[in-house]
Amino acid sequence: MDPKRTMATSKTLRVLRWVGVPILVAAITALGTYFAARAYVLRQAEANIRDVLLSHRGFHLYIQREMIPEFYRAMEDGRIASNFYSPKVLSSSYIVRVMHGFFNEERVADGLPSIYYKMAADNPRNPVNRASPLESDLIHRFNQDRSLREVRSMVTVDGQQFLLRAVPFLENTKACLRCHGRRADAPAGLQALYSGEGGFNEREGIIRAVEIIRAPVSREIQIAAIASAAVSGGLFGLLLLFLFNTRLRGLVQSRTRALEVEIQERRHAEAAVRDLNLTLERRVAERTAQLSAVNRELDAFAYSVSHDLRAPLRAIDGFSQALQEDCGEHLDEAGKGYLDRVRAGCTRMGNLIEDLLQLSRLTRREVERREVDLSALAQESAEELKSGAPQRTATFTIAPGIKASGDPTLLRAVLDNLLGNAFKFTSTRPEARIEFGSLPQDGQTVFFVRDNGVGFDMKYADKLFGTFQRLHATEAFEGTGIGLATVQRIILRHGGRVWAQSELDRGTTFFFTL
Amino acid sequence: MGKYILLVEDNPDDVALAMRALKKNHIANEVVVARDGVEALDFLFAEGAQRDRNPSDLPEVVLLDLKLPKLHGLEVLQQIRADERTQLLPVVVLTTSSEDRDIVESYRLGANSYIRKPVDYDQFTEAIRQLGMYWLVLNQGVPNTGVPG
Repeated sequence: MDPKRTMATSKTLRVLRWVGVPILVAAITALGTYFAARAYVLRQAEANIRDVLLSHRGFHLYIQREMIPEFYRAMEDGRIASNFYSPKVLSSSYIVRVMHGFFNEERVADGLPSIYYKMAADNPRNPVNRASPLESDLIHRFNQDRSLREVRSMVTVDGQQFLLRAVPFLENTKACLRCHGRRADAPAGLQALYSGEGGFNEREGIIRAVEIIRAPVSREIQIAAIASAAVSGGLFGLLLLFLFNTRLRGLVQSRTRALEVEIQERRHAEAAVRDLNLTLERRVAERTAQLSAVNRELDAFAYSVSHDLRAPLRAIDGFSQALQEDCGEHLDEAGKGYLDRVRAGCTRMGNLIEDLLQLSRLTRREVERREVDLSALAQESAEELKSGAPQRTATFTIAPGIKASGDPTLLRAVLDNLLGNAFKFTSTRPEARIEFGSLPQDGQTVFFVRDNGVGFDMKYADKLFGTFQRLHATEAFEGTGIGLATVQRIILRHGGRVWAQSELDRGTTFFFTL
Repeated sequence: MGKYILLVEDNPDDVALAMRALKKNHIANEVVVARDGVEALDFLFAEGAQRDRNPSDLPEVVLLDLKLPKLHGLEVLQQIRADERTQLLPVVVLTTSSEDRDIVESYRLGANSYIRKPVDYDQFTEAIRQLGMYWLVLNQGVPNTGVPG
């Protein structure tokens, strides 16, 4: 299925749910409310017009049972002329109709709509009372079905809605026929007043007329409609709000769940980081402890070497000397030479131990960085070298004011070794020239010690800084092969680099950075 | 007992070489040798095997090695300085070590001098000669009477 269409369909469904459901519910409520309100309104209206109708009937009865007999008695007594007739006092339909007219006048004056009332007959004396086809039909229905006591219905007249209630008028009795029988039998006054046959020739037992009353109910129905519209509109709004609220709540819930999941994940991640940190810290602590242990062992070793290795050496040297002095006469020249060699070996080994101890000491030492005047250190070193070999002719050229950040003791050892090497390997030169300086390279300062000594073959350059590595025979240049190893260790501990450039018989330059 | 030296040294070779060096330099004073730290303190305080000794008869100088059996030289020095009878006694540390911490610690505990035993015997002899000359001849020791304390 096309995903776009699916989305569109689901959107339509959502809109339907959003709007359709409230509309449906509101419509049902509107109908219910409308019909309930309408029924109530109609019942109220019906009760009103029934009261009016019953009141009119009562009036009819009063006229027929009290007024008219009183008139006839007065006629018989001769108090009223026997030919007197006036509908105003003898026709109940007339009297009630007129009375109803006044009633309506009062209603209108009181701001109420007028109520239609009619005593409708098919054969009226007064044409005003002639039944309309609808009313005629009602008369017919009441005559057909004598058990029918009333009819009520909604009718529309001239576009107005009315509630109609109709009740049958009296069945004709013998007394009725006095005025409604044959014209010739009617009182003379009546005959004189009404020409024609209207209202005469009625038969006994027939329902001659129907009383109809109807009240306008359009306004009430409108009110019912407005009420139902208001109720359903309100309900529609409430439903929309409810759905919206439900949707919002759903959204909030899903967001909350998502956030909770995220918080959970973050907590896990944090815990993982914490664990990792703890592990790392533990490892660092372990390594530190291991390193400290190694350092302590190294310390103990160096201390032991410092004491124990030199003591036997001193014994060898001392007793060789004693042998030479005390028993010299028993030794030939070769024997004395051997003893000389023993003592020379002792001296060399003493130096070796000394250098090893220095290497150990310097590389174990904490690097304490501060600003160091390298020129001054080089100057001191040069002075010591010259005073140690006053017979040599050597020119030291030391650039002034070279400063660097580093450990002064360690850097002094570097310069001692480099300048010492330069001094040593220029010993065969009649004019030894040794230079200390600095130059910029790739944004950093490179320091150098240059000499015009014997130099070395660059193919051995990689062996230069190894411990005990020597590029010259011991007979040619004495040395332990530890000096440059010490230099390299110190430079590395400063985070720097050391390298050399040399050419056989032309000289060597050592470079270093810090 | 006249002016004498207390040599605290466990290595018999070094003892023999020191004696020889003294003899070579015509220093005839008596040398008392203690072979470990405990022996040295027993001698100085006339305790243990030395309880019959007169404790006020102190050497002109103590030549003290550091790496000693039983009690380390620095502890011996500490106890010498802690006791009022010996707190002014000249003590020269004579050892093979040239570790900074040994030197610093020795002076901190009140050593009067620190001499490194050279490997080279000629230098060693020279050092012993100078020591003997200085402490036995040149140096004015603490008078026997009027010692504070």
